Amino acid sequence: MNGRKIGIRALIAVVLLWTLVPLLWMLLSSFKPTSSLAATTPELTFTPTLEHYRALFSGGNDIGGYAVNSILSAGISTLIAVALGSLAGYGLARSEFRGKDHVAFWIISTRMAPIAAAVLPLFVIFRATHLLGTTTGLIVAYLSFNLPFAIWIMNAFFADLPPSLEEAAMVDGATRWTAFRRIALPLVLPGVATTAILCLVFSWNDYAFASTFSGPDSQTLPMAASQLVTQTEIDWGQLTAIGTIVVAPMILVGLVVRKWLVTGLTLGAVTGE
Amino acid sequence: MAVAAEHRSQARERSRTRRRFGLSFEGRLMAPALIILALLSLLPFLYIIAMSLSRVGLIGGISLHWAGLDNWSRLFSDSSVGAAWVRSIVYFVATVGLEMLLGIGIALLIYELAWGRNLVLSLLLMPMFMAPVIVGLLGRFLTDSTFGLYAWVLRETGIYSGDILGSTTSAFIAVTLMDVWEWTPLIALIVLAGLASLPGPVMEAAAIDGAGYWKRLRHIVLPMIAGVVVVALLVRSMDAIRYFDIIYNTTNGGPADATKIVPIRLYETAFRFFDLGYAAAIGLSLLAASILVANLFLRTLKRQGLAR
Amino acid sequence: MRGGLTRREVLARAGAGAAALTLPGWLAACGGETAQHHPDADQWKQFAGTKLNFISENTAPTSAIAANLEPFRKLTGIDVTITQLELSALVQKVALDFASGLGSYQVIYADPYQILAPYHEALADLNTFMHDDNLPKLEDEGDFIPVQLDAAGRFVDKGKVYALPYDAPTMIWQYRKDLFQKHGDRMKQDLGFDPMPSDSSTWEQFYKTSKWFRDNAREDVPYGHGNQAKQHDSLMNDFSNLLWAYGGDYFRNGTAVGRMGSNDPGDPILDSAEAVHAADVYNRLVAIAHPGSRGWDWDGLGAAFSAGQLAMCVNWHEFAAANEASKATKGKVGYAALPRGPKRRACMYGGTGLGINAVASEIEQKAAWLFVNWATSKDVQLSNLKSDVGGGTPTRDSVYKLPQVQKAKHEPSSMPNILTTDAVFEAWKPENIGLRPKIAAWNECDTVIFTQLSKMIAGQQPPDSCMSNTKDGFVQAIDNAESLRRA
Repeated sequence: MNGRKIGIRALIAVVLLWTLVPLLWMLLSSFKPTSSLAATTPELTFTPTLEHYRALFSGGNDIGGYAVNSILSAGISTLIAVALGSLAGYGLARSEFRGKDHVAFWIISTRMAPIAAAVLPLFVIFRATHLLGTTTGLIVAYLSFNLPFAIWIMNAFFADLPPSLEEAAMVDGATRWTAFRRIALPLVLPGVATTAILCLVFSWNDYAFASTFSGPDSQTLPMAASQLVTQTEIDWGQLTAIGTIVVAPMILVGLVVRKWLVTGLTLGAVTGE
Repeated sequence: MAVAAEHRSQARERSRTRRRFGLSFEGRLMAPALIILALLSLLPFLYIIAMSLSRVGLIGGISLHWAGLDNWSRLFSDSSVGAAWVRSIVYFVATVGLEMLLGIGIALLIYELAWGRNLVLSLLLMPMFMAPVIVGLLGRFLTDSTFGLYAWVLRETGIYSGDILGSTTSAFIAVTLMDVWEWTPLIALIVLAGLASLPGPVMEAAAIDGAGYWKRLRHIVLPMIAGVVVVALLVRSMDAIRYFDIIYNTTNGGPADATKIVPIRLYETAFRFFDLGYAAAIGLSLLAASILVANLFLRTLKRQGLAR
Repeated sequence: MRGGLTRREVLARAGAGAAALTLPGWLAACGGETAQHHPDADQWKQFAGTKLNFISENTAPTSAIAANLEPFRKLTGIDVTITQLELSALVQKVALDFASGLGSYQVIYADPYQILAPYHEALADLNTFMHDDNLPKLEDEGDFIPVQLDAAGRFVDKGKVYALPYDAPTMIWQYRKDLFQKHGDRMKQDLGFDPMPSDSSTWEQFYKTSKWFRDNAREDVPYGHGNQAKQHDSLMNDFSNLLWAYGGDYFRNGTAVGRMGSNDPGDPILDSAEAVHAADVYNRLVAIAHPGSRGWDWDGLGAAFSAGQLAMCVNWHEFAAANEASKATKGKVGYAALPRGPKRRACMYGGTGLGINAVASEIEQKAAWLFVNWATSKDVQLSNLKSDVGGGTPTRDSVYKLPQVQKAKHEPSSMPNILTTDAVFEAWKPENIGLRPKIAAWNECDTVIFTQLSKMIAGQQPPDSCMSNTKDGFVQAIDNAESLRRA
């Protein structure tokens, strides 16, 4: 091994350290007994405990309900966004019309609206439509960023498919719908999965919308995390535990679609491996 | 070729003949999503404009009272909002700039790896999937002057013994680094995809020519991935304007306003002072900035022939 | 949560035998009708099956109640869901709920400054319920510490009560008895005064004592004192103690604006020579404090103190519970009212009452009244005090007079917050209590003052421009709020 290779590995080790230490520290702290967490010199040896996880699921601040709300609001919003987004994405990819650029621009710009600005009018509209404080409200709020995202990416995935396949099917008598359903859609399944997972991650991780729109029956996990900052203490044990609970599933599903992430995250501008 | 063209024209014919309600097949596919999107974007857009021209009453339901351009004239004479813009720009340049530099560097490093590339990349990507609120709270934990791991390390090594989130410069650096920690992997991922798509022979040929690594990087690799780098820059920029969760959950604008960027100022005006009319004006100005970036993004895509 | 009280314990503590199963003990005890069937029992049951949402800052009494809601369910048949939030998040959520007109949260932890003052129109007047013969009576209104009923419960109009005092955190001096004893003689010699906190201690002495610790006792404790000087509500609280002690104030008739609140407080006087002097003293204090101070709110300060990093601090008295729970400080902390300034001694009061959302339906409001009535009762305040997860800061005089509570004033105490009783009663004397302005524009004014102070501490402006900027900011904020109120 030459010096150059060693240098590269050393640098990568530094990068990994920088990236992983906070995550590992969070994981570790979530199993630390409270006395160990309160030490002013970080302690590495301790008897692991599940007390923080147990505390999260019992008593006055059981996060079970929060988890259900998170799963429902992020999950349903994702399903709707992917379903409608696939249809519209295909439609957009296969059509030519005047002003298509403007429509595309409008779609992408809704996705980019600053959250702090979007929350404001949506609050009033939700109030008028009785969506405040409901899980349905959160689902709709998440659609506001998931739907344009899904349309845009699915458009990119479909545009990569040569139309000749569907055309061939239609020559054989298939309707346009069948051609879409049976030919085009199955070919972009990785795209569908990527879109779904990214939509899920975006809405699962949301804090600003949830903290503004949700009521006592629709609060989500990120809110539960911020609620652990209390009047007299920050319960770092429970906080790191809930952090682990919020983060772990997203990392897992995110890495499942790693191959297509690039396409998804660049809104289709760059294609992955 | 001719057959394919004929098929295509037949397909078009079919779609034209099947129009219902004046909409093509594609139109019908797009309609549900676009209608929902319109409700979720145009309506709020019009409403926020109305709000920005009003005094907004709160208790017992929201009510708008015409205020003309009051909020707007206040916006352009409010030095604290101006200062927040300056801070936002500095924060934006610092975070996105660092993320670009580090991200490109990391991508080049990983690209050099003969094996374990996927494993390293997977580990590296993990912060990106984290809820920003958790990143903020975790950042607070790590920098806490009493219990924090990083605070302890900095203190023990004699690098910094003050309170990290307590003084202006260190707090600004800390929230910047939290953002950099979470989003550098995104840049690395995108740039790496660009590198992976480079034709192998180009690199090898240059290597045989005896060009050194830096020379190859400068004259061959970077120009070839320039397009991808610009896309990475724009993608990240669009989100950098959007989010404020990390600062919101760490310093919430302090100390001495050192981290009070425009979205924080906006959120505070709206949901702490409940000065909704003024908040709407600030919000629209922020929206204008993000649309500008979105526009750049699309133009870049078009120029590179990447738009579909 | 960590081992709250079992239901049986609470009932046993209510101490009224069989009657306690259906009634709170005090009803039986004060009416002299022990063990008879009480007609009020039906009054408590009349809204059985109703669901209530209680939104609260995550403070000690709420944690205690959340861990042990069964007695209330048993008494009334009402289910209560509790949402606990950090103060600024709470204020936001409550205001959003008022704006939504939904009344999602029927019972509200109504911070007198950030919720009651700006949004009192959205809170029900509790007199309606207090004087309704079909609802359970409130146990002895006069038992609430009088200044607290005004400060936490009323706004301008003496005839209306928007909230019943629920907790009463107050800022007091918390110091390490062990360290003061150990170094007392040397300090007396070096400093020329007795550093032990007493009635005559001054802020100048506080400063010198802190500095002495920093310079001479590093091996025992890293710093003399800490502040809660984060750009946050805590900074306003921390500074106000000095502002008043040095003779400054927010408004000319500050005491009245603090106690009853005002719709027209007049011009702010924050640029007075006294206020600038106070800012200067505060600036110097922070300069010698633990460097973490500038990033701490009350949480951070409390954590550092109970971790043994500080010889003393000024913090809410409810932190006694945390001090007694920590290895480093258990049994070592003394409590006293704050030092004096040239003008007076002022201890910031931070109590809050429970209010009822006026938008909620009539039934819900009445059910909410049962909860408010219950949660502020003597027995519940007592059981909060004993709770492992809570601590509580009782707002009823009679609670402090109970023999078991009197006993807890001395170590070892089963109710750590009671160790502070003498200090807080001194602090609550009308001449010592510190009451910040109760005005509609408070949320914006609060932000103005803690932002300007934060800039001063960061060295970006001297005390005089800090205070004159603060004054200008107040004028602007009050103007803004006024124009919104007209909207």
